[in-house]
Amino acid sequence: MTDPTPAIDVQNLVRRFGAVDAVHGLSLSVAPGRCYGLFGRNGAGKTTTIKCLLNLLRPDAGSVRLFGHDPAVDEVAVKSRLSYVPDQVAFYPWHRIRDWFDYLAAFRHEWNHEQERALLKRFDLDEHRRVTTLSRGEKMQVALIGAICPGPELLILDEPTSGLDPLVRREFIRAVIGSFQEWDPERRTVFVSTHLITEFEGLIDEFSVIDRGRTVHTLEADTARARFGRLRARWSDIPGPIALEGALQVRQTGREVEVTADGNLDDLERQLRARGPELLTREALTLEEIFLAIATPREGRA
Amino acid sequence: MRVQLNFKSGVPVYLQIVEQVKAAVAAGSLRPDEALPSVRVLAEELRVNRNTVARAYGELAVQGVVTNEAGRGCFIRDRGQPLRKDARRALLTEPVDALLVQAHHLRIPPAELLDLIQERLRLLEQRKEKENQS
Repeated sequence: MTDPTPAIDVQNLVRRFGAVDAVHGLSLSVAPGRCYGLFGRNGAGKTTTIKCLLNLLRPDAGSVRLFGHDPAVDEVAVKSRLSYVPDQVAFYPWHRIRDWFDYLAAFRHEWNHEQERALLKRFDLDEHRRVTTLSRGEKMQVALIGAICPGPELLILDEPTSGLDPLVRREFIRAVIGSFQEWDPERRTVFVSTHLITEFEGLIDEFSVIDRGRTVHTLEADTARARFGRLRARWSDIPGPIALEGALQVRQTGREVEVTADGNLDDLERQLRARGPELLTREALTLEEIFLAIATPREGRA
Repeated sequence: MRVQLNFKSGVPVYLQIVEQVKAAVAAGSLRPDEALPSVRVLAEELRVNRNTVARAYGELAVQGVVTNEAGRGCFIRDRGQPLRKDARRALLTEPVDALLVQAHHLRIPPAELLDLIQERLRLLEQRKEKENQS
């Protein structure tokens, strides 16, 4: 049904900076039409990975393929099918927004002027403004318009919403949904690195959590939310220490115990219930909570 | 119709949309021949992938809740009796069983559970009446 060639395929990627392994054997694969999240703490290797996708950095080992091509060999073929929005966009200070778009369009096969007009209107931007007068949020909006108008199949976003106010963030994501996915949404792939996971909760189909340059977990968002959960139990008297088999995290404060787990919630719920709590609740974890449960040092682990 | 996603329910996002559209139809806030918002509009509003909304609408069409008219959109179907009664009852068995288990764990006795169901039914009827008046 879907194109079997992944939009992105990374196998055992290694990239060192001196003695430091920024990326250390990372693998991931993104099917066309998916919205894929790359989650990790600062310094986890997100930006290095993205730069390897774009051939801005050469891998020391491993393979990188975009649409089945090696970006170091078929650079033009690969880059003509994608757009990249970095976390800090560099403009030529003498450009007006119009000049910037014309400049970008000169490198592209196509440029959707209708979409450009619609997006300028949506963000309430005047094409005659000088790029130096734009706020951080407006710069990101201009960068996003510049990324969408060539009609790429793959949109790579590196920390796109950090430093933006909540309203601008929302509108940014809505524009990605509304405009980037306007035609053939099943062919339009989004690859986003972020630690503002909540913003992208609904958009993300699949994600990898990376830590110290390695993929720790790769999961479908729906599957992850069904698998990871939290139990809260309360007793009428302080129950004494609760030992549980197979929890990710157990936190006990007075009469309450909070248990975070991956997959074996039924079993843990039975273990807790056997101790006769007066209250027992269960909820799924959001992607951000899952990230925190996986990526933080596991103090208080059972 | 207002869809509200709850990422802490553990229910797949597309299914939450399916369930809420069905609930809106049952409550009368969506009526036969009324259109669902376009995939783009709902996806933007909920900030979810378009493919997720498209999947939900596809599922609603399969279940016979809506008809998908190419180029025009999705419309609520006027369905007399799409399934035989025993088939419809069978579809409800699973959620009812889940409810019974949940009630047991929450220590809600059967009589109280039945009361609660009655109360919710009354509320739904009231909402329906209000919708019909407005």
